[in-house]
Amino acid sequence: MDEKAVGFTLEMPKVGIIRGVKAKDIEMVGGKVVNLRTCARPYENIYTVTQLRAIQGVSKKYGSGKVHLSPRHNMEIPEIKNKHIDEALRDLYVAGLFPGGAGTSVRNVFTCPDWCARSVRPVQAIGKMVSTNFGDRDMPNKFTISFAGCPNGCSRPHNTDVGIIAVAKVTIADQGCPDGCRECAKVCPVQAVGPTEGRVKINRPACIACGRCVKACPEKILRSEETGFKVLIGGKEGATVAFGAVIAEFAKDFELLEIIESVLRKYEQKVTPRLAGRKKKERMSEVIERLGIAAFLAD
Amino acid sequence: MEMETNGILPGRTKGKATLRVRSLAPYSAEFTSGQIGVIADIAEQYGSGQAHVTARQTIEIADVENSTIPEVAALLNNIGLFVGSSGSFLRNVMACSRWCLYNVRPVSDLAQKLNKLHADRQLPGKTLISLSGCSFSCTRSRTSDIGVIARSNIALTDHPCIHCTLCVREPLGCQVEAITLTETGPEIDAQRCIHCGFCTTICKPATIGLNGTSFDILIGGSGGITPRAGVFWKNVPTEEAVVEEVDSLLTRYAAVAEHGERIGAVLARSGAGCLEEVGHG
Ligand code: SF4
Ligand code: SF4
Ligand code: SF4
Ligand code: SF4
Ligand code: SF4
Ligand code: SF4
Repeated sequence: MDEKAVGFTLEMPKVGIIRGVKAKDIEMVGGKVVNLRTCARPYENIYTVTQLRAIQGVSKKYGSGKVHLSPRHNMEIPEIKNKHIDEALRDLYVAGLFPGGAGTSVRNVFTCPDWCARSVRPVQAIGKMVSTNFGDRDMPNKFTISFAGCPNGCSRPHNTDVGIIAVAKVTIADQGCPDGCRECAKVCPVQAVGPTEGRVKINRPACIACGRCVKACPEKILRSEETGFKVLIGGKEGATVAFGAVIAEFAKDFELLEIIESVLRKYEQKVTPRLAGRKKKERMSEVIERLGIAAFLAD
Repeated sequence: MEMETNGILPGRTKGKATLRVRSLAPYSAEFTSGQIGVIADIAEQYGSGQAHVTARQTIEIADVENSTIPEVAALLNNIGLFVGSSGSFLRNVMACSRWCLYNVRPVSDLAQKLNKLHADRQLPGKTLISLSGCSFSCTRSRTSDIGVIARSNIALTDHPCIHCTLCVREPLGCQVEAITLTETGPEIDAQRCIHCGFCTTICKPATIGLNGTSFDILIGGSGGITPRAGVFWKNVPTEEAVVEEVDSLLTRYAAVAEHGERIGAVLARSGAGCLEEVGHG
């Protein structure tokens, strides 16, 4: 079979099969069933009809007829009997799905769907590019990257290792506003915009660059000619919560890959075990907490 | 922009919408293979063949013609799925999978109860409830308006340790390195321990024993524009108590919040006292 033609190779990734247990049966550790986390490679947040049907089939034929939606947009198919695992994987491969999204590696890259009406710009394509470059790279601990299409942050960019938020540079045309219009003020989530004496003003320090006012302005006085990415690092949510620190306010697409590569390197260089003498390494948030963001970013 | 009704989001093309689908059965985080099949059929027939798994365990079907929405909604309702979970409504209750190894106790039944009681209840602002089977909070209980985390109460017993070392080494040992093995047995660092209870399930002689489970409730967390970590509210012993507490919290929140205000904002403005059930101390 020509592997190139279908766009993926049949080599089985090492990550992704999470330890299996029978539902409610904790004694089954290391037993005869596995749970499969599945997603497209490179990671995509959109499932096609073919992929949905493959998941349906595998769950029904080899699993227990259940499918769990994970909070990071993969689907988990539980309770697949070990003896059927090859068949299950094959059925998923054929649809372009792979096990993944577990273990100490770069997990599936989260992106908002481009169809969200609030999105400042599409992020699926750049998410896929980041996934192609960094997806599944071995890391000292788990590593998550999330793209949000706007500052609403549904994909939780504040609580992931690298959070990337699309932002709009809003400009104001030199033109007066019609009497009575307050559309921009109505939609702004942080009350940063509105007309005074017939002229619109933006409170720049308060503005979060979500671009909602641009979409609402009937006169096209508010415009967004340029979009960029705000980049946060060192967030997490687990036994404790950390919010990411902003390291770039308006990065362009081509700068993103460089920023991510450099953050991954810094993390690899500066990580230490959580406790002296133990194997388990720090999450990036712990490294940043220990060193401070400036020392983490320094060469 | 078109008006947003619950679960029907403005689409990328005029005349079309994105439908957000939540599962009331089996429960909020789980779909059956049959339901996935129907979603595939709907995406193919009524949409553009694409579906998105959201960060809150719902599935979005894109590009559905407005005129076909009632038809699609009926198809979904037939199989225990509902269009919803957007706007100022109670969103889909997030929950861990039933089969995660770390579950102190599965939270699926609790999720189903809460979803049945409150699904799509209209509230002053966006309201997220997330249930976690253990302290790792994969479902983001610590940054939700109401987060519920199952907790094991562990206790050392006088059963002698057999020094199997399972509790301190990979892959099953304590995830936060709270256990140190000494000659006389395990010592637990109470500062580090996150009450996942995993050690009690692997310790054969029950040197580390399980002294019941309970739930921590956190409130006021959020992601998005004003990210906040939730603060500890109460520890309650049973699922029934969680259901009661959530009901009371939602009712008080609806009574005291201003339009659009989320629980975290209420806390910041007036403190936690205003969310206490009236009549209690
Ligand atoms: S973060 Fe913004 S673009 Fe992404 S899903 Fe949420 S509202 Fe839509
Ligand atoms: S971009 Fe517009 S709507 Fe968004 S915060 Fe700034 S002023 Fe408000
Ligand atoms: S900027 Fe646009 S939306 Fe705002 S008041 Fe002027 S015309 Fe209306
Ligand atoms: S929070 Fe705990 S029980 Fe829930 S999925 Fe994560 S590790 Fe498993
Ligand atoms: S209950 Fe505490 S000591 Fe036991 S495994 Fe969990 S964190 Fe470690
Ligand atoms: S405490 Fe239990 S699990 Fe740990 S070494 Fe002793 S017997 Fe083994």
